[in-house]
Parts: sequence; C-alpha cells; structure tokens
Amino acid sequence: VPANKLQTMLWAEADRMRGLDVTQANLDNQRSVVKNEVRVNVRNQPYGGFPWLDLPQLANQNWHNAHNFYGDMKDLDAATLQDVQAFFKQYYAPNNAALVVVGDIDTDTAMAWVRQYFGGIPRGPALQPTDVSEPPQTAEKRITKTDSLATRPALAVGYHMPARNTPEYYAMGLIDQILLQGDDSWLHQALVQEHGFAGSVNGGINLLGDMFDYDGPMLWTFYMFHDAASPGDSILAVVDSVMDRIRTQPVDSATLARALVKERSFLYDMIEQNRDDLLASFSLFDRDPARINQLDEDFAEVTPALIQKTAEQFLRATNRTVLMVQPAAKNAAFTGAAGGRVRGKGTGR
Amino acid sequence: MRRDSRQGSLARVLAAGIVGLGLCLAASPARAQDTTGANTTRQTPPPGGPPRNFALPPRQNLQLDNGMQVTLVHYGLVPKVNVLLVLRSGNVDEAADQIWLADLTGQMLKEGTTTRSATQIAEQAAGMGGSVDVSVSPDQTFISGEALSEFGPRMIALLGDVVEHPAFPASQLARHRADLQRQLSIQTSQPQATTAAEFNKLLYPDHPYGRWFPTNAMLGSYTMDQVRGFYQQQYGAGRAHLYVVGVFDGDSVQQAVRTAFSGWAPGPAAVGNVPKPVTERRIILIDRPGAPQSTIYLGLPVADPSSPDYMALVVTNALLGGAFSSRITADIREAKGYTYSPFSTIATRYHTAYWAEVADVTTADTGPAIGEIFKQVDSLRAAPPSPQELAGTQNYLAGIFVLRNSSRQGIIGQLAFMQLHGLGDDYLTQYVDHVHAVTPEQVQEMAKKYLDPQQMLLVVTGDRTKILKQLQAFGPVRAAP
Repeated sequence: VPANKLQTMLWAEADRMRGLDVTQANLDNQRSVVKNEVRVNVRNQPYGGFPWLDLPQLANQNWHNAHNFYGDMKDLDAATLQDVQAFFKQYYAPNNAALVVVGDIDTDTAMAWVRQYFGGIPRGPALQPTDVSEPPQTAEKRITKTDSLATRPALAVGYHMPARNTPEYYAMGLIDQILLQGDDSWLHQALVQEHGFAGSVNGGINLLGDMFDYDGPMLWTFYMFHDAASPGDSILAVVDSVMDRIRTQPVDSATLARALVKERSFLYDMIEQNRDDLLASFSLFDRDPARINQLDEDFAEVTPALIQKTAEQFLRATNRTVLMVQPAAKNAAFTGAAGGRVRGKGTGR
Repeated sequence: MRRDSRQGSLARVLAAGIVGLGLCLAASPARAQDTTGANTTRQTPPPGGPPRNFALPPRQNLQLDNGMQVTLVHYGLVPKVNVLLVLRSGNVDEAADQIWLADLTGQMLKEGTTTRSATQIAEQAAGMGGSVDVSVSPDQTFISGEALSEFGPRMIALLGDVVEHPAFPASQLARHRADLQRQLSIQTSQPQATTAAEFNKLLYPDHPYGRWFPTNAMLGSYTMDQVRGFYQQQYGAGRAHLYVVGVFDGDSVQQAVRTAFSGWAPGPAAVGNVPKPVTERRIILIDRPGAPQSTIYLGLPVADPSSPDYMALVVTNALLGGAFSSRITADIREAKGYTYSPFSTIATRYHTAYWAEVADVTTADTGPAIGEIFKQVDSLRAAPPSPQELAGTQNYLAGIFVLRNSSRQGIIGQLAFMQLHGLGDDYLTQYVDHVHAVTPEQVQEMAKKYLDPQQMLLVVTGDRTKILKQLQAFGPVRAAP
C-alpha cells in the first residue's frame, strides 16, 4: 500500500484479527468462490493440479502432507460456520502471528501504531504441536495419471528435501542452481538442449513458494511437457545419467562458483522484492528474523564434497516420486481443440 | 505469441488466489468485537496521512548514430541491473502463413552467435547471475538479461552479440518447431486461450492481431531461410530501444552500449499496421462438452493509449471491472459467487485497443453471470458514480502506479509501454494527477461513449447442451467455425 496508508492498514489488519465477521451468508458465498477457484485451476484445466497439487499427495505418507490441500468439493461443502469460526479463533491469533512492515516508514511511529491496534488483542487458545514428520522413503514410486483434457504427455519428478537449515539443505539450494535453474543447468542442457525432449524444464524447492518460506517436509521438484514420441522412461534414463554425474564426482570449482553467483543474484532479488516474506518466515519458523543476514554465508560454506554427499543421500531413485501424465487417447493426436469429459480431480490415485 | 493474461506460471495463478482471498477479507468490513466475540458498533478507519509525492528515478536518454535509442535509469539499492532490448517487431509483422514465425526467430537467437555456442551464452549469462531471455508479443520483441551490477557491461556485450550476430544453426530448427507445435497443442486445449483467440479473431479479421494460432502444419513447414528472412526484415538498430535499469556505473555502461551496438545496421523501418476492428453485437459459442465452467470474453473496441480519452477510460475500467473492488467483481464474485477470478481489462495494441470482461463462471450460472455484467455496464451508463466510490478507485490506481514503478522490471515495462504508444514523459509525471482529475460525469460519459452492450462481442466456451438456452436469452447464438 502507499506508505501514507500504513496506519489505515494496521487498523484494518488488527480489526480483522480481533474479530472477523463470519456469517452463514458470507461463508456460503466464499465457499462458492473457492469451488470456482478449484474448477478454474484444476477441474476445467488440462494438466490441472500437475504437479503442484498431485505430487505432494503421492510422495508423502503423513496425512498432513498427503491430503488434497486445495479441498475436495465434498470437504468444502461439509465446512460449517462453527468449523470456520473455530479455525479462525485457533490460528488467526497474535500468539500464532508475525507482523512485518517494510517500506518508507518511520519505525517509532509504526511501532506505536502496532501497539495501539494489536496490543489489546487477546491471545488465542494454546497451539498444539502438529506432527508433520514424514517417514523416510525407501522405494521409488511411479504413478501414471490419465488426463482427459491434456493433449501431450508430461513428466514430474520430486525428491524429498533435507531438513531445513542443515548444511545439506543449503547444499540442495546450490544443487537446484546447478541442475535446474537457468539454461546453463545440467537438466536443461541434457533434456532440452541435447535431447530436445521439451521446450523447458521447470521447478525448484517448494513449488508454491521458495526455499525459505516453508516449514516441515518439502520436495525438490522438476517437470516438463513432452511428446508421445519420447516416452517418460527414455527421459528418465537421461535424468538418471544427470543424477549419477552429480552423485559420483565432486563438481568442479567453476560450476560451484557459477552456482554461488546465481544463488547470490536470487538472494538479492528476494531481499529486494520479498523481504517481508523472508522476515516473516524466519520469525515464525525460527524465531530469528536476523537469519536474513547470514544466508549468503551459509551458502558460501557449501563445498564440492558436501554437494556430492548430499546428492548421494537425497538424489537417489528410492527417495523420489515420478508422476507421468498421459493424455486420454482421443486427445493424443493433434486436434486443435479440447474434448472429453472432465473426470474427478485426478489426483492420480 | 499471444497469451491470455491468466496463462501465467503456476506461482502467479496461486499468488492471485492468495491475494484474492486477502482482498476479499479486507473488502468485507469487520465488526469491532469485544473479547467475547459479541458484535458492537462499527468503527471508522483512520484515514492515514496525505499521499507523498512520487519522484521518478533519474533517467538519461541517448541516441546512437544508427538510430538506436538508449535509456539509462539509476534505480534501487540492491546491486543488480536489468538490460532489456525492445524491438518494434513482433507477431504484427507476420504474414497470414507465418504465424509464430516471430517466436521461432526469437527462440533461434539463443541458439548461438558467430562466436558463441548456445551453451556458452547460457553459461556466461549464468556466471553474471542472470540469463538471456527472448519473448515476443504482438507489437514488440524483448531480449533481456539481468546481472549482478559488476557484470552490467558484460551483459550488454552479450545481448549485443546475441541480437546482432545470430548463427541460426540449422541443426536446432526441428527442435524449436516441435516445441512450438507442443505449445500450440497445449494452448489450444486451454479454454481461456481458445476463447481469447476466437474473440481476437472476430475483432480483428484479416489482421495479425486476430491470428493467434498457427496450424500444426504451418509450424512444421518453417525453414531456416524464412527465419533468416524475418530477422533481416524485422530486426535492426533503427527500431530498437535499449533500457538499462538498476544499480550501475553510468560511464562504463555507456561505453559498453556504444561498443556493443554502434556497429549494428539500422535495418528496415517498422511498418505501422493499424487494424480496423469490427464493432458488432455477436454471440459465439465454442462447445466444450462436460465443462464445469463457461469461459466468457465480452467486449468491444475502445480508445487506445494515444487518445485523449484514454486516462478517463482507465479509471472507468477500474471502477467497472478492473479493480478487485470493482462493481462487476463485487457483484458476480462477492455477492453471487458465480466465479473466482473475473476481471475487465483494456488490451492495448499499437493504435488500437479493446475492452473486455473475462470470467470463468459455473456452468449453471452462465446466463445469470452475463446478465449481471450487462446490468452493471448499463447502470454505469445510466448514472455517474458517487464521488466517494470514484475516489476509492482513484486512490487505488494512484497507489498501484507507485507500486508498478517500484521494481526494475516495472520501470522498464512502463517505459516500453510509453515508447510503443508514443507517450511523452507527462504520461508518467502527470499520471496521478490525471487519474484524480477524472470526474464522476466523465466516467459515465466514457461508459456511454465506449461501452454499449448492443455493440459487444460475446464469446463463450462451455458445455453447449447446458448453456445454449442460457445464451439465447441475449440473442442469436452462432457456433464457432
């Protein structure tokens, strides 16, 4: 918001946290809006939910990580006014929130407004810790999903990440730069430039955000859209050769230096454009917003040996889930128009 | 390549959802509650302070002897710099049997120069903390790179090599044709893309703006000679504008620009190809059996950015359907729940533009949703908005104008928009004043002058068996050819 409206926004956010006006009428309305959101993004879209909604459900076992987090239509229909009010009371509470203000402000004035508007809001009920831990994956999973709206096959691969803030986690940040980000990345060079399987290969750590704004288990994911003439298995064979390369030998110093430059450039963008999100994440997840200042150092400590060890441990086939999308047969030829009935959510299982 | 404005990355789709939720909560006024949750009286929000003056970052404009324009903008604190070469060249320059040839040419630029391989280009750009990207729009081609500040001059040299000395290796042509064929196949399976394509086809018949999709066979037929021919006809310093925005050393960047681009030939001048859009009430149905939603494009040609009416039209659009708090969104989403992501837009091309309301609505609500949109347009044509409602829209537009100019990419985007439409500096310096100067009567007048429902084109993609009767309530319905 324009800086002159800070006081208005703090008042509005505090007013909302103090007591949201949830009624049966506005709940019914927003339920209808959310159902339309799922329709436009999943049910009426070719590749709807691929891979961001599908892959976590397939790769994880703990219900908290493995359910349809967009909401099945029947779950959306089942939510009552009491459910919503209880959820709001439990989670939209000061003891479960971090407030970050970034911009052209006077700090003392802003803090005085924060105290004025938020200071009197009572704590919510104590939060019970949720066990979101995932058991280690011990065998590769391969799933094929038939998409009645799609016209070309697609392939996604997700590997479970090391725990946040460990040396291996930072190593995976650099492995992401080496293998996946940018046209110089090994996967782009192999899958796009050399073999021409796809026009691009996309992905990263945390498809719904970035490598800093999550807590708990996470996947490192890449995905691409390809042709029936290049079956998923032949693409996976090339993927495996890339993974073998990074798992069996240390990267050379030029590769590591380039990965660090890319990471630094990415961090600068984050600090310029997403500073509020970084500070809020480190406050909520680590109670340490100052972590923003040490990220560059944490990446700089990653060595070629650590990259190899991390790749060896996490980029093994038994730690991954492979999702292949197959177009329904009647769409597989080029038709120039979509056809076919929409079937279910297609979570792939 | 044309893309529906909602066809972005997944992150954008989801971000829109998150933002949407946040705004919808903010939009429904909360009641002050005591600690027991009982409703008490509504409070009046603190108004906030007066708006602060917005200062444009300092700019420096140069012109090279070959005609190339250069704009340097010192902006920001983070040590990064964005370099963008904008060419007056795009899909508008394609013949009827050359659709997406501009895109193919753009992609082939990255396949190497006379002295660098594709892999070398990629590795050198990455080593500067960036990448080289090429994208093509109806009127402009964008060749961009970003880098850590210390590499700014080297990135300029790299982009110069990419655009001036492409190798066009024959070995890579088949791969890029196949990529475009795959993109065509995927895009034509998306209801938003096919609806937009049909809408533009009917609005701009026999003009490149109306030719969104090539055929599969057309893409397969393109030769390297055609790519070279397009490059020779449509690229050159005389129709190029280079923008450098961020933190950089002015002297070394200027030197790098002159070294990289002074030897580039001016090339053929851009041809202004302004269409005559068709204004006519038509209702077109594209059948999508089983679709749970209907995808709606409803609109007509309006004034373009070079018109004196343009700013008043921008304000009118924001109030009617462009802003989240707009009338149509408040009606069909916040009151009726027919849809998730409705919006109206003024889609601008060179010396032409159209207004459209775009929405994906529940199949059963297709007719009622269209009826509500017409009702909101009629209502604005019948009476001016209240000064208070208009002030809210004006504050919103002034606010997002500041946000839009608060990133390197945003500043470049604004400048490239102004360059295409021939707008002077006062577009930027007077923008906020011009927004605030619009009166309620002018908003009504714009709606009456430009947004006549009897002249609107309606294209709907949905389940014919369920929506045909709903559409017939608005007039005769034709099937898309």
